[in-house]
Amino acid sequence: MSLEIAIDRVVGGAETPTAVVRLVGELDAANYLEVIDAGRRLYEDGTRRLVLDLSGLTFIASSGLVALHSLILIMAGEAPPDPENGWGAFHSLAHDVSGGPQMAVQLCGVGPAVDRVLARTGMGRLFLVHADRAAALAAG
Amino acid sequence: MRLAGVIAADRLAELLAPFARSPIAVRVESLDGQVVAVAGEPLPAEKSGTFSVLISGGRAGVVGRVVVTRRVGRLDPVSRAAAGSLAAAIGMLVDAGARSAHRATERVEREAEHRREHARTESELALSRRVQRSFMPLVAPEVPGWDLASFYEPAREIGGDFFDAFWIRGQRRSLALVIADVTGKGIAAALLMAFSRPLLRAAVDRLQAPATALERTNHILVEERRSALFITALLAVVDVRSGRLRVAAAGHEPPLVLRASSGRLEWLPVQGPLLGAFSALNVREREATLYHGDMLLCYTDGVTDARSPAGERFGERRLRAAVRAGRDSSAQDLVDRIVDSMQRFQAGTAAADDVTLLAVRRLPARSRAQRG
Repeated sequence: MSLEIAIDRVVGGAETPTAVVRLVGELDAANYLEVIDAGRRLYEDGTRRLVLDLSGLTFIASSGLVALHSLILIMAGEAPPDPENGWGAFHSLAHDVSGGPQMAVQLCGVGPAVDRVLARTGMGRLFLVHADRAAALAAG
Repeated sequence: MRLAGVIAADRLAELLAPFARSPIAVRVESLDGQVVAVAGEPLPAEKSGTFSVLISGGRAGVVGRVVVTRRVGRLDPVSRAAAGSLAAAIGMLVDAGARSAHRATERVEREAEHRREHARTESELALSRRVQRSFMPLVAPEVPGWDLASFYEPAREIGGDFFDAFWIRGQRRSLALVIADVTGKGIAAALLMAFSRPLLRAAVDRLQAPATALERTNHILVEERRSALFITALLAVVDVRSGRLRVAAAGHEPPLVLRASSGRLEWLPVQGPLLGAFSALNVREREATLYHGDMLLCYTDGVTDARSPAGERFGERRLRAAVRAGRDSSAQDLVDRIVDSMQRFQAGTAAADDVTLLAVRRLPARSRAQRG
């Protein structure tokens, strides 16, 4: 299956330039790099905070977790290397995720399939999870 | 260069056609004097005026000549000019032909270079694949009373999955089982795999406790060898005399246990964060017992994530069905059954992820007795 990436920039209101990225379909090894690329472009355009609307995401593979983690690095200004190529990725610094959830990338609309993977891998603890887009944006 | 080889006969005939009913006869010769084309009725040279113009084919050089003879009277300037134009036109055709032949040669050379480049990359990948295969245990340890089988198929030439089965500290008492998956794909994942496999092996071998071994490996990955990628891993240590099993997982699918007595299929509920992302894992170790005839199955998500042509996932339900059907089979038969079921489901759809299976069965008591 394919993945559709829809981006809404949030105009005004929020102090931090924010974009809502809606992922629809399945996030796996075939398309996780596209999500990372979308994050890079948003950062280059000035976005510093992402709300990931996962209500249309029916499946996430382990490579999808690399994409979510990379988005945190991107929003923190630590451009992650291309995870598919060579030693660069191997030796790059991982974001320090020991201090609880970060604020730069937040989730909403997490369905059971995605929630199970986030729980199984412990990646859920990285993210604040909101019921919907409005709640995520209100959280600032 | 032979004139006939670089200029199409029909193009030449087209150029010569206007001379067919003119007062001059035209002959086109290649350098060696061979007549390539004629127009009009040629006369013996001594009975008429003859004039010839060399054909310069540009980069092909002089390739021949145009000879005009006049049937009546002397050759006039118009006939000479006509011969000159014809020679120039033929020359341009020859040059164009030579250029396109040159381009064709260049293209062939470029394609050959691409093929060589591709072959080099392919052979490097094939070599990487062989090196990586050599990381996997070639021969499962001989474990009296137990039966081991595995399956490993990388999605690309080089993959991020790995598994291991070995005696802890060389003593034939505790058998360590490792299955792991480096998230992400490609060379970086393969390198991290190559780096992590001995780490996990050494940690289990030294510490014997799966949870502690995962903590130790995670510590090294987070504090000393940070990476943009993560690893999911499942470690189990089996006491082959008692069947006691200690299991811990880091972000990995929990293993399945198929009970011989009841036919029940259970998950061993182990869970914990994946390796390389958090400073501490705090994973809980579980204990279980494998009784005679019980089967333990460890796998990577390449199995459950395998897709059908319609885009459906193989999933846990189909995996469980395949495992249940293998209740009384050997470890190898069970693995074959799962792989067969998965491949029929995929129906030729290319796998996006590596597929690894590791099955361990405690043999029924009677077959152990039969073995003596």
